[in-house]
Amino acid sequence: MNQSEAALHPPEKEKAINALYSVIDPELFVNVVDLGLIYKVTTPDNGIHVLMTLSTPHCPMGEAITNGVRNTLEIAFPGREVRVDLTFDPLWSFEMLSEEGKRQLGM
Amino acid sequence: MTITGPGRDTPPAAVIPFFAGGAVAFFVLCLLLLISPASLTTHHFNPHLLSIVHVAALGWGTMIIFGAAHQLLPVIFERDLFSPAMATFCFYTLTAGTALLVFSFWDFRTGWLMIGGGALVILSVLMYAVNVIVTASIHKRRTPEGLFIVNSALWLLLTVSIGLLLAVNFTYPFFSKNHLDVLALHAHAGLAGWFLQLITGVSVRLVPMFLVARSSKGSWLWYAFALQNTGMLLFIADGYIFGPVRWRMILYGFIIAAGIAAWLGYLYDAYQKRMKKRIDVQMKHTFFSFTALIAAVLFIPAVLFAEGYRWAVLYGTLLFMGWITGIILGKTFKTLPFIIWNMHYKNLTGKVAVPLPKDLYNETVVLWQYRIFITASGLLAAGILLDNLAVIRVASVAWLLLSLLYLFNVLRVLLHRAKAGGL
Repeated sequence: MNQSEAALHPPEKEKAINALYSVIDPELFVNVVDLGLIYKVTTPDNGIHVLMTLSTPHCPMGEAITNGVRNTLEIAFPGREVRVDLTFDPLWSFEMLSEEGKRQLGM
Repeated sequence: MTITGPGRDTPPAAVIPFFAGGAVAFFVLCLLLLISPASLTTHHFNPHLLSIVHVAALGWGTMIIFGAAHQLLPVIFERDLFSPAMATFCFYTLTAGTALLVFSFWDFRTGWLMIGGGALVILSVLMYAVNVIVTASIHKRRTPEGLFIVNSALWLLLTVSIGLLLAVNFTYPFFSKNHLDVLALHAHAGLAGWFLQLITGVSVRLVPMFLVARSSKGSWLWYAFALQNTGMLLFIADGYIFGPVRWRMILYGFIIAAGIAAWLGYLYDAYQKRMKKRIDVQMKHTFFSFTALIAAVLFIPAVLFAEGYRWAVLYGTLLFMGWITGIILGKTFKTLPFIIWNMHYKNLTGKVAVPLPKDLYNETVVLWQYRIFITASGLLAAGILLDNLAVIRVASVAWLLLSLLYLFNVLRVLLHRAKAGGL
């Protein structure tokens, strides 16, 4: 998911994705959107639902990253129910990095 | 699509004491080097060097590896650690056992103190091995890194078992074999069985993870596993049954070296294909440590065929102070700050501004740690090769300074207090 795709989303979804740009992987110093960890954002009534992955199953920073996603969305959407689901199907791969993510990694 | 959870963290008590204990042991190791530099200029079977080697192998290397492994086993086997309580308990038995052994060796006091120390170390290793094997047993996929890690625990169990038998043999002689020959088997079961295979298994997972890289040489790891273990089994069996014959030892060394080459070839392939181009100073420690390992392996013919003690001492020094120490010095600041950061901030991310894991330690000190590590390694190797006590003394001062820098930075991380907006 990158900036140009985000622009096509309805405003709420775009707001959610923009908020997620502030959640940084503490090891790689790249945000979760540009890392390609966010698979899907939906905005059902009274809620925000994120389906995401981690770069490694049982990643030691996994809880911090998913908490970061949840906390950020709870602040961006006060009063809305935030649900963060984690999946490793499909597994994260380098191809999921955005161009900006690659640039930030020095590629 | 399967929905899952992020996995539970290993409790801090199963990890943090090992890092604190290891940092203190590294300081003690360097202090003992400074107190007894002459122990590096004589035959390697001398009381002070036995003490120094056991601080290095158990108090420093094994201590830090146990702590890091308790944190990393869930990552590698993709499930929670089997028993955090056992993981916590084995810190105390390992610390007490190592202290008793080091104290006993210094003046070579054989007897129940030494035997008790060995027994406590075995108890620790048993608990560690059970934790590794049970944590690994539920893993669905058989991966080479998993196999290396499980196997290394079994080699460690063999190493400390031989060690305990040697300690018993000092008081109640029962070995029909030459004591020094059994000592060589004990040392190499530890170096090429425990440390080599553990480091191989962990590094093939962590190095690509830190470099954001993927190697296409996955099959090389199976060759590495087969070669390292075949070489070691032949070395131990032949060495025990027939006694060490130099040309056969060279052959087994060559087989193990081929296994090392396959492993390092895999890592080099990952390095070339890495996404993260900037190499941090922690990773530079790791690469330097591999150079020390390669140098030690290349010196094996000199250890076996050259006159004098210096080559055997240099070989051991390169392995303990260059290879094992180098990898720990770097990897500590790739793991410990993240563990402590998680303890303080994992629930606060996104809520308030929090520091990054790299803010928990002093990066400039890590850079100087690297520079002094290279200088101290070079000086110590030169002092041993030249058989020059003055150079070894200067090197020991550099090592002590290095250990103080490391201890300072580890304590800085461990004693970190939460700093976040709104707290």
